[in-house]
Amino acid sequence: MLCACSVTLRFQVRRHSVKPQSLQGRFEMESSSSHQPIESVRAAYLLLLPFFFFFTVFWLVPLVGGLRMSFYSNDLYGPSSFVGFDHYRALLEDQRYLKAVKNTTLYAVSSILVILPLAVLLAHILRAAWRRLRPVFTFLLLLPGLTPPAVLALLFLLVFHGREGLLNQLIVVPLGFKAINWLKDPDFILPALVLQTVWRWTGFITLFVLAGMEAIPNALYEAARMTTDNRWNLFRAVTFPSLKPVLIFSTVYLLVDAFSLFSGAYVLLGGSGGTADSGLLLISYTYQQAFAFGKFGTAAAISASVAPFLLLALALCFLRFRRSKA
Amino acid sequence: MPLMVLSLLFVYPFAWMFLSSFKENRQIFSPLKVWPERFNFEFYGQLFAGDWIPFFSVFLNSLMVAFAQAVGAVALTSVAGFVFSKHEFPLRRILFVLALVVIVLPQQALAVSLFTWLHTLHLGNTLAGVMLPGFVSGLGIIYFTQVFRQIPDDYLHLARLAGASEFRVFLTLVPMVTSPLLSFGLVQFILAWHEHLIPMLVLSSQDKQTLPLALAGLYGSSLRFPFAVLMAGSSLTLVPTIVLFCILYRRFKSSLSELLVH
Repeated sequence: MLCACSVTLRFQVRRHSVKPQSLQGRFEMESSSSHQPIESVRAAYLLLLPFFFFFTVFWLVPLVGGLRMSFYSNDLYGPSSFVGFDHYRALLEDQRYLKAVKNTTLYAVSSILVILPLAVLLAHILRAAWRRLRPVFTFLLLLPGLTPPAVLALLFLLVFHGREGLLNQLIVVPLGFKAINWLKDPDFILPALVLQTVWRWTGFITLFVLAGMEAIPNALYEAARMTTDNRWNLFRAVTFPSLKPVLIFSTVYLLVDAFSLFSGAYVLLGGSGGTADSGLLLISYTYQQAFAFGKFGTAAAISASVAPFLLLALALCFLRFRRSKA
Repeated sequence: MPLMVLSLLFVYPFAWMFLSSFKENRQIFSPLKVWPERFNFEFYGQLFAGDWIPFFSVFLNSLMVAFAQAVGAVALTSVAGFVFSKHEFPLRRILFVLALVVIVLPQQALAVSLFTWLHTLHLGNTLAGVMLPGFVSGLGIIYFTQVFRQIPDDYLHLARLAGASEFRVFLTLVPMVTSPLLSFGLVQFILAWHEHLIPMLVLSSQDKQTLPLALAGLYGSSLRFPFAVLMAGSSLTLVPTIVLFCILYRRFKSSLSELLVH
């Protein structure tokens, strides 16, 4: 009884000693106990077994299989032959591939650059909103994020659909511009895709940022107010540094989503790259190569060619993250 | 005030979608007339009768896939997260980093080889083939490692002193982390409910399709086809995620802030 009491007591004490910067430990492995008997090590491996079983069967094998596939010829029937780096070499000269890389990068960077500031702004506004209305607004903002991309793209199609589309009738034409053919005009396909992503993810990222903001202890603001009263300075000195982990996480998430996104672009553009390939993304190109042209080797090489860059981006994000802590 | 405008902008297409499910095609394509001339429930009737897609079986498929994926991912990653946060063993760092790489290279990035591999495993055109790859979640590993790190070791020591096996120790901690478990389950459910690429590759027969696939297929089918049916189906797609989200919103929010504070 006494023992249990002391445990709860310690638990309480621990929970209340909130360290404002303790977010920093998130991605690090701090050891909880220094030294454990062999039996416990065995128990640890045993408990990890189920996860790593699925990990091996449904992730590692396809990964290795994909790498292997990228070194073999495209023959669909009969044995395929080893071609080394031929697919990769061919990709470097493939204009459509280069276009897809360019589009995807542009698409990823611009959606991140729009979503993050917008989310911070919205979270800021939400915090000022009446407390009881906050969940209502949050929910309204989240609605697109709760919608399957296939449906979202469908709605979007109707929103953008040529001359009769909502956007044209409500905004573009009344402002005196010529109706934009969003999904046919090569200049507007990529912006349309970005807009759709913004619509989809802003709500969720806002929720993350809002939770992050609410977690900042007031004491930090009070301390900062000793030196400045300027709101922008306060934001730079307190809010932004505290939000860094959330923002970095969101960046990684959006980056991965952009590179593995499929549904939106697929339903919007019917699996093609749109007019003049101006909406061709890497994943739709991969899909085309594999399932429209039957070039599995090429498709696997496309997938594999992206992986190092994604890993690099992840590593850079974490590196910056660590440096900003130090 | 700007918030009002923006949320209106976000919600407008959804309101329009829902109201369009009662309209004839002619009305749908003039998007400024939002309110239907009259509420025509015939299109819901057509949808439920399975005139266009086998709605109920497709809906059920989606529900099964999403639910199984949520449960599976939560079960596997929570145990793994517990081990990563509370145990010390030689390969820990390497295994942890490996699990993290899954975040950057999700199943969709491996779709082509996953597709052939699933056929080798005889999981082609089965719902299991869609569910099982979704069990492997790198995000879950990070999340639960963080969640369990916040639980004081004393609890573990206590349970171990009582002679519990490590798995039992984990089970005794479960009641303390129900909110994070449910929150992550919700996220997985939503992701699985939305997934398009993997089901499209794996499932070939119509009765095995998931809801987003069936709806996307409807869209291209024909010009004479009533769009209101599509709108009705799309509106109903939103129901499960919205209901779950509303039920779990408080837990979701609190476990999010909890995670960010500690």
